Amino acid sequence: MSYPSEDSLRRGIAFVAALGVGVATYIAIAESGGGSPVCLAGGTGCRTVAESSYSHVAGVNIAIFGAIGYLMLLATAFFANDAARFGGFVVSLGGFGYSVFLTYIEIFKIEAICQWCVGSAVLMTILFLLNATRLVAYGGAELQEAR
Amino acid sequence: MNDADRRTKLMQLAAGTVFLAIVVVVALIVVNSSSSDSAGEPTSEAGREIAGELRGIPQTGMLLGDPAAPVELVEFGDLQCPVCKGFAEEILPPIIENQVKNGEVKIDFRNFTIIGPQSVDAGAAALAAGEQGRGWNFVELFYENQGAENSGYADAAFLEAVAKSAGVENLAKWNEDRKLLRPQVEETTEEARQLGFTGTPSFAVKGSSTQGLEPIGTPSSTEAIEEAIEAAG
Repeated sequence: MSYPSEDSLRRGIAFVAALGVGVATYIAIAESGGGSPVCLAGGTGCRTVAESSYSHVAGVNIAIFGAIGYLMLLATAFFANDAARFGGFVVSLGGFGYSVFLTYIEIFKIEAICQWCVGSAVLMTILFLLNATRLVAYGGAELQEAR
Repeated sequence: MNDADRRTKLMQLAAGTVFLAIVVVVALIVVNSSSSDSAGEPTSEAGREIAGELRGIPQTGMLLGDPAAPVELVEFGDLQCPVCKGFAEEILPPIIENQVKNGEVKIDFRNFTIIGPQSVDAGAAALAAGEQGRGWNFVELFYENQGAENSGYADAAFLEAVAKSAGVENLAKWNEDRKLLRPQVEETTEEARQLGFTGTPSFAVKGSSTQGLEPIGTPSSTEAIEEAIEAAG
C-alpha cells in the first residue's frame, strides 16, 4: 500500500492543527467574552452548549484544552521522529475520542448542536486520520526522515 | 534495536493506546447516560421551608403579593436556567421580604422558555400549581432542585414530585391544568421577545411613573432592582 510522503502528511497536520487552534481559541474567547449573567436564547445551539455543565472540566473551559491539544499537534508536525509521530498519534486519538464523547453529549444530553464544536470534531477526526497514517506508514523509521 | 523491532514495539504501543481510548470513551458515555443529572429530590421538608418563607403573602396565579400593590415587577424566567435559580436564591429574597410582604410591590413570574422542551413542561407545571395558589412554592422548589440544563431531569415524575412537595393538593387537576396551560407559556415567551429580551432572567416594571410594562433587562443586584422599582413607583 502506498502512503503519501511524510512531508505531505506533516504539512497537512500543520495546516489542520492551525485551523483547530483558530477554532478552539475562537470558542474560548467567545464564551469568556459574552459574560453577561443571563441564559441566552439564540438561533444556534452554541449558547445552550456553552451554558451546559459539560462545557467546563474542573472549572476550565474545554475549548482551552482543545487549543492546547491543537498546539501540541501543530508542534509534532515540525519534527520527523518517532516521538513526534507517536505523540501526535496519542494526542489526536485523545482529541478524537473526546470529540466523539462530546458529540454524543450534544446530540443526546444537551440536545443542541454547536457548529463550532462540530467543526472542531471534524478537524480532530482529520488530524487523527493523518496522524494514524503517519504512524503506520513511517513509525520506526527514525533513520529515514527524508523519505 | 533495529528499525523493524522499533516499529513492532511502536505498533503494539499504538494498538494498546487505541484500546485504552475506546474503553475510556465507552465508559464516559455509559457513565453519562446512566447517571441522571444532579437534579435534587424535592422533599416535603424543603417544601415546608419555602412555604414558611412565603407565608402570609397572597398568591394569585403566578402573582406574588397584594394584587393592589402600586408597583409590579415582572420576571421573565426559564425554570431550567441556572442564572434564574441564582436570582431566586440571592437577589429576589430581600425584595420579597422588604417590599412584597408589606404590599408595596407585587412580583409576577412569566415563563420565557429558551433552554429546551422541558422548560415548557416545567413552566406549564408551575402555572398549573399557580392555579392552586402554589405557583411560587413550585418555582422556588424547582430552582432548589434544579439539575443540569436539558439533561432530562424535568420529566413528569420530577414535576409531580415538585408539585406535591410544593403543596399542590389536587394533583389530578394540576395534571389536567398543566396540559391546558401550555399555550400560556408560549404567549409569555412571545411577550418577552416583543419586549426585546434575549436571555433569562429578564425583568420589567410597571408603576405610576411607567408607560405600561417597562423593560429593565437583567439587573445585576438587589439594589439595581430596588432602584428600578423606586423609579417606577
